[in-house]
Amino acid sequence: MIPGMDILCVAYNLNAVVLGSLIAVYAILIGYLGLRGFRKTKSNQDYLLAGRSVNPFVMAMSYGAAFISTSALVGFGGIAGQFGMGLMWLVFMNIAFGIVVAFIWFGHRTRSMGAELDAKTFPEFIGRRFQSEKIKLFIAGVIFIFIPLYSSVVLISGARFLQEVMGVPYFWALGVFGAIVAVYVIFGGLKGVMYVDALMGTVMLLGMLMLLVSCYVRLGGVVSAHQKLTEMSALVAQRLPQEYILGHRGWTVMPEFNSVWWWTLVSSLMLGVGIGALAQPQLAVRFMTVKSGKELNRAVLVGSIFILCTAGAAYMTGALSNVFFFHPEAGKTPQLAIEAAGGNPDIIIPMFIKEALPAVVLYVFSLTMLSAAMSTLSSLFHVAGTSLGHDICGNLRWGRENGILLSRTGVCFGIVLSVFFAMILPPGVVARGTAIFFGICAAAFLPAYVAALYWKRATRAGIWAGIVTGSVVTVFGLVFMHQKEAALLGICKLICGRDVLVSVHPWPVVDPFVYALPLSVIALVVVSLLTRPLEKKHLDRIFK
Amino acid sequence: MFGLGDLYIVGAVLGSIAVSAVGVVYGAINWNRSGSEEDK
Repeated sequence: MIPGMDILCVAYNLNAVVLGSLIAVYAILIGYLGLRGFRKTKSNQDYLLAGRSVNPFVMAMSYGAAFISTSALVGFGGIAGQFGMGLMWLVFMNIAFGIVVAFIWFGHRTRSMGAELDAKTFPEFIGRRFQSEKIKLFIAGVIFIFIPLYSSVVLISGARFLQEVMGVPYFWALGVFGAIVAVYVIFGGLKGVMYVDALMGTVMLLGMLMLLVSCYVRLGGVVSAHQKLTEMSALVAQRLPQEYILGHRGWTVMPEFNSVWWWTLVSSLMLGVGIGALAQPQLAVRFMTVKSGKELNRAVLVGSIFILCTAGAAYMTGALSNVFFFHPEAGKTPQLAIEAAGGNPDIIIPMFIKEALPAVVLYVFSLTMLSAAMSTLSSLFHVAGTSLGHDICGNLRWGRENGILLSRTGVCFGIVLSVFFAMILPPGVVARGTAIFFGICAAAFLPAYVAALYWKRATRAGIWAGIVTGSVVTVFGLVFMHQKEAALLGICKLICGRDVLVSVHPWPVVDPFVYALPLSVIALVVVSLLTRPLEKKHLDRIFK
Repeated sequence: MFGLGDLYIVGAVLGSIAVSAVGVVYGAINWNRSGSEEDK
């Protein structure tokens, strides 16, 4: 099933005229901001890094809007409806690592080093830091190959939304949705993307806050709502035996220690998604868009509030929806949220909004969903396109003379590739491809990124060792160790006669990130210590 | 506490609010500070 598709389907009883008018006004605003970005884009630096002069509010909202996608709000919100508030640890990790650590410890150094190295993209930053064109090309290649897989999922969600809500045929919807984002990404560059993202981030912030407040009001207040949910814990064993076996013990308690769900929550969500966000190229590049560290400090303030109010609201609302569905109006059967959603967690949040909250919340939520999809998409299109246009082809003679044109061509190519994937690939495969990309990003790029910022002794060979070890171990884990992907791929079964290499609990449910990251770090450190360091003059210049 | 059934969940909720507060306070205190040598 396409992530987010069902969700959006339950909203189809919206008044298409009202929603169409809202979307039209919204599209005009997007067009205006995209045009503003276009007019201010005079050089390749403007196109790639928004001229290194972005306002801190725009920077923080844009970072947050690119960070939080439709699947984070609705998909993970639905998982909270099924498994409870343990997902609030992901909010904690998102703010602690995705904002505080990212901006304070990564942001300042990335910005100042990026300016010193005159780096305009994430691959170029790592490549120039280690004086290696091959490292830059490798990272750019990974980004360009895998990001369109991820962006195609988001594109499909947006297109399905237009199809179900507005009645636009799917392939037309795909084209229209892709075209709207394409126009402001291609012409507006990163300035256009960040202006539009800031608008979308603001809509997301207001929409999710409205959702959380309405939810608590509807359920009788904060403590009362939590208390009612706590009292429902006994229902898990009776009504959700499968989830009980996985470790589910209630919506306001953690899963049972060492259970399947506990490992999924801790290894895949808290650690994989929480820490993995630090090495996402589309987010890291934003640190280089501001003119001084002052803007980064200000962005910490805005970004912390943004993540708490968007992701936090989605996960709390998802869990609390159980109280609403189990205490229905007279004449309706009490159900758990996952039962009311027919077993599909993706439709819990929209269903709750539709049945429990005022119509205005549903309209705002629709715009919020469009915003979440488009803001993530635009950032992905931009980073994928610039990887091709600037990083891979930028060294060609023609490329050096036509920087902006080449970057725009790269963005166009990235968008076409994403639309192509969205048309041909089965959604389940794409979603797994996305998970693989995130795993590889975290395990392969994070140690290299940290070493680039903080460790003078790191060498080119060490960086290669870290990247290769992280990539290989992650792929090995997905193919031979992690039950979900290994069983689907079937390679382990073909070679060894069983789904996974080690079937002793908890290995089949431990995310490969958990062992790939430490091994990548060890490889980077050991090989660096055994090889010749970079020249002192270069290091003194960038670490001054 | 707060009607929640587990101190770990209370910790997650309060931890999220607390770490956000840290971000807000840091941002407010350093509003006009650049944080890197070359900016000073």
